[in-house]
Amino acid sequence: MKEILFFLTTVCFVVLSCTKEKTDYEAEIDTVVPEYKEFKEAYAINSDGYKISIEALNGTFYTGYNEVRLEITDSQTNEKVNVSAVTFLPIRTNVDKRNVSCPHRYDLIDKPDDGYFSGYAVFTDRSDADGSWELYISFTIADQIHTAKQDISVHEQANKNMNMAMFEGKDDEQYFIALVSPQKPKVGENELVAGIYRFNKPNNPPSSDFPDASQFSYTEVSDYTLQLDPRMPEPSMGNHSSPNNKDLTQRSDGLYHGMVNYTMTGNWTLNFILLNQQGQILRGTLVPTDFTPGVEGVKSELHIDILF
Amino acid sequence: MKNISFSFLFLFLGIHVNAQHTHVQNDTTKRLEEVAITAIAKRKIETEMKMAVSVDEFLASSDHISFIKRGAYAWEPLLNNMSTERSTITIDGMHVFGACTDKMDPVTSYVESNNLSTIDITSGQGGNMHGATVAGSIDLKRKSTPFGLDKKWNGAYQTGFESNNKQFFNLGNLSYSGDKFVADGSISFRKAGNYYDGNNDEVNHSQYNKFNTAVGLAYKTSPLSSIRVDAIYDKAKDVGFPALPMDLWLSRAFITSASYKQLFEDGLLRAWDTKIYFNAIEHYMDDTKRPENLVHMDMPGWSTTYGLVSRANLRNGDCSSEIQLNVYNNLSIAEMTMYPQDRSKKTMFAYSWPWVTTRFAGISMNNSWDISAMSRLNFGGSLGWNYNHSKYVEFNWIFHPGTPQEKDRILPGLHASYQLHVNQFDFSIGTGYGHRAPSVSEGYGYYIYNSFDRYDYIGNPDLKNEVSYEANASAGFKSKKMGIEAKVNYFYIQNYIVGRILSLGSPMNYQSVGVKGYTSLNHARLFNTTLHANYDILQHLHWNGTLMYARATDDKDGNLPFIRPLSYQTSLYYMHRQFGIRASVNGDLTQEHYSPEYGEDLTPAYMVFNMSADYTFSFRNYKAVLQIGAENLFNEYYSTYADWGNIPRMGRNVFTSLKFNF
Repeated sequence: MKEILFFLTTVCFVVLSCTKEKTDYEAEIDTVVPEYKEFKEAYAINSDGYKISIEALNGTFYTGYNEVRLEITDSQTNEKVNVSAVTFLPIRTNVDKRNVSCPHRYDLIDKPDDGYFSGYAVFTDRSDADGSWELYISFTIADQIHTAKQDISVHEQANKNMNMAMFEGKDDEQYFIALVSPQKPKVGENELVAGIYRFNKPNNPPSSDFPDASQFSYTEVSDYTLQLDPRMPEPSMGNHSSPNNKDLTQRSDGLYHGMVNYTMTGNWTLNFILLNQQGQILRGTLVPTDFTPGVEGVKSELHIDILF
Repeated sequence: MKNISFSFLFLFLGIHVNAQHTHVQNDTTKRLEEVAITAIAKRKIETEMKMAVSVDEFLASSDHISFIKRGAYAWEPLLNNMSTERSTITIDGMHVFGACTDKMDPVTSYVESNNLSTIDITSGQGGNMHGATVAGSIDLKRKSTPFGLDKKWNGAYQTGFESNNKQFFNLGNLSYSGDKFVADGSISFRKAGNYYDGNNDEVNHSQYNKFNTAVGLAYKTSPLSSIRVDAIYDKAKDVGFPALPMDLWLSRAFITSASYKQLFEDGLLRAWDTKIYFNAIEHYMDDTKRPENLVHMDMPGWSTTYGLVSRANLRNGDCSSEIQLNVYNNLSIAEMTMYPQDRSKKTMFAYSWPWVTTRFAGISMNNSWDISAMSRLNFGGSLGWNYNHSKYVEFNWIFHPGTPQEKDRILPGLHASYQLHVNQFDFSIGTGYGHRAPSVSEGYGYYIYNSFDRYDYIGNPDLKNEVSYEANASAGFKSKKMGIEAKVNYFYIQNYIVGRILSLGSPMNYQSVGVKGYTSLNHARLFNTTLHANYDILQHLHWNGTLMYARATDDKDGNLPFIRPLSYQTSLYYMHRQFGIRASVNGDLTQEHYSPEYGEDLTPAYMVFNMSADYTFSFRNYKAVLQIGAENLFNEYYSTYADWGNIPRMGRNVFTSLKFNF
């Protein structure tokens, strides 16, 4: 009988005792990465009797890639107006009064079905004591050009999966690579989308009217190739990588699409090599492929760190 | 599909044959007759050398079993030189699955010798009663005291000490047998330190601590029926695995069942036994005690199984049949979390078993037909459905993009054998065919580090069923003074699952050198043979000897790993009145057919001498046995072909134990 009692006590102990908790994998993935899906109004400008509503994901501009939507309505009636030729130009004024821009779509694309004009901006810096950002917008209604200006605030991107890189290529041009998607990677296969832009060096001196768009012009480079080698850089991971990754190539949306596989959660580095149409390396180096436990992974001179 | 319908036909044919002889046979036996056909049942949990053995040591004394050893504890039993994925290991027919991805906890590590009565080892397809198998089955039979014994209370207490690893153990069991009520209980403690090899060097991280207790209660509901509840609780703590880069911090198993048994006095159906069961296993590894690990990885694993076993025994004239229904559901989870030196930070997280559910439902049948007094035909079959579901299938998609999250498999099995007994000679010949599904690791494992070949292993959900074709034969001669028996079996296994180097993967575990994925070889061939002889030299002096040989090759005639080289065992024992003395020698020859591809190297030959003496005495109502002996008497330094990482085996070990029965 004693043994039975002892046994029952043991059973109770087993049932009640606290063993190691299982990892709540789904919750863990959720908390690490903030994900924004909803477009909200970031700023509204009233100009010449029109209301320009500027929308961004989460209603906030972040460093890196930002999709931008503009809606222009009549301030009085709140109704859509027939607008054409909307332009969009972000300008950063640094403390030294120098003006720079960032990759953006100057001529916004009309999406009549959705009722907005679509564009993007890849902010290179956040708004801080060193500089501030302004948006210069122009639009045409009934052959009349209207302009508007708005101070904006650009916040640091908290999601490392939306990081960007800015560098000078071997052709002495300035390039920008900004991650567009996935905001929230998952273990397994992820379609990796990035924008690749080049700064068009101005050929003429600036005109007297500010801002002169020709001084702040960027192109989406076409038919380049972005070679990809994702690795886990931490020493303990020994330069771990994943199989079945695909290099990024351009699709009809102008963006570059490829495939990245994450074998597990943690810190990853996307090592890139950027090739131009002729297959010449503009930037990036091959990284060692050996498994080197205890040694921090060597990164390509062109890389973006992400955390997932 | 042809195979399936064929086996269905076969199954029903069996039932039909039985149904034709419907004349009532009077048999007043009220105890269940076990229809052990090809089972080689070991009757007592002790070996010839040693009376206080662990389950592992006991299994090691069987011809069919060899072991992969990762330390002093939890040896992985290989049946017919095939690893545990290819055999079904059950406790009283209950399926239990280890929770460790590195096979540090075979099912046999969750029981203790004092709560088992026998271990049934069935070779090949004859073992498919408990589910689909290739190699055979190992069924650990729990102790269960019959109702209404003359002596109501029975008990035994055993204690002992082994000098080499300072193992100290206490095993106790007690049973009560009433007319209506029976209770069995057992409890055991084992504690061992590091062992020393033949060079007297300490093998670090080879200690272990084990606690096991079991209870069983049975109640007779009518003269021919009873209900029974059983439970086992096992806890191992601080167990070192010298051959692995990590140890076991804690593993716990809780194994329960409730069964109902009904016997029938006449008619075709003689006994019907149905059991529902539940078991939960948790296994937590610990690599913080190894200074060579610069990073630490937590690798907890959980395995939960519930199921049903229902079995009916039928008898009609010269035919007897056993039909068994097996249903179970298992959920296997294993995690990897890596930490840098600063444990508050996490480096990575992944599942090595991404919440894999295995469901199995199968019906098995075994028929035995006594054709004449001299010959008997055994035949049977099984048909099973195996279902897998991987909850976090994204981990499997890394290496197998787009593979389905769920997988169904049909697992047929068939076997037949013929036994002939002529004068003093016994002959048997048999054949079998069967499928098995890949194990959780083979199908869904993810970066499971194998410290033997130092590769990370990746499962493949699309693996084909392993299909085994088997033939076996035996011949024996028995006289009053001597016996000799030769057994041979041959397996031709299609789609034999092994790990092959993947060119595309990148390793992850700290010590690994590459990634291997489970793939199917076109085929593999395994051949096992044993020769066993015994001779009574004098009335009290007995000799016996065993010779074993196995050979296994893959489809390119390369060697398969973990195949036992020619090995031998011979012993002499002298017993007179209350005194017994035994001496034995066992060893392996050089492992010439090793497999470098799977991380093996040439293992030299070794020979080990053992000796023991015992004295039986009684005082008052107690019967006691005192035993003293030594294993590896000459302190040979050796490691066997199946010692993980060539870790040396134990050097000279003097053991002593005392057992009381009351």
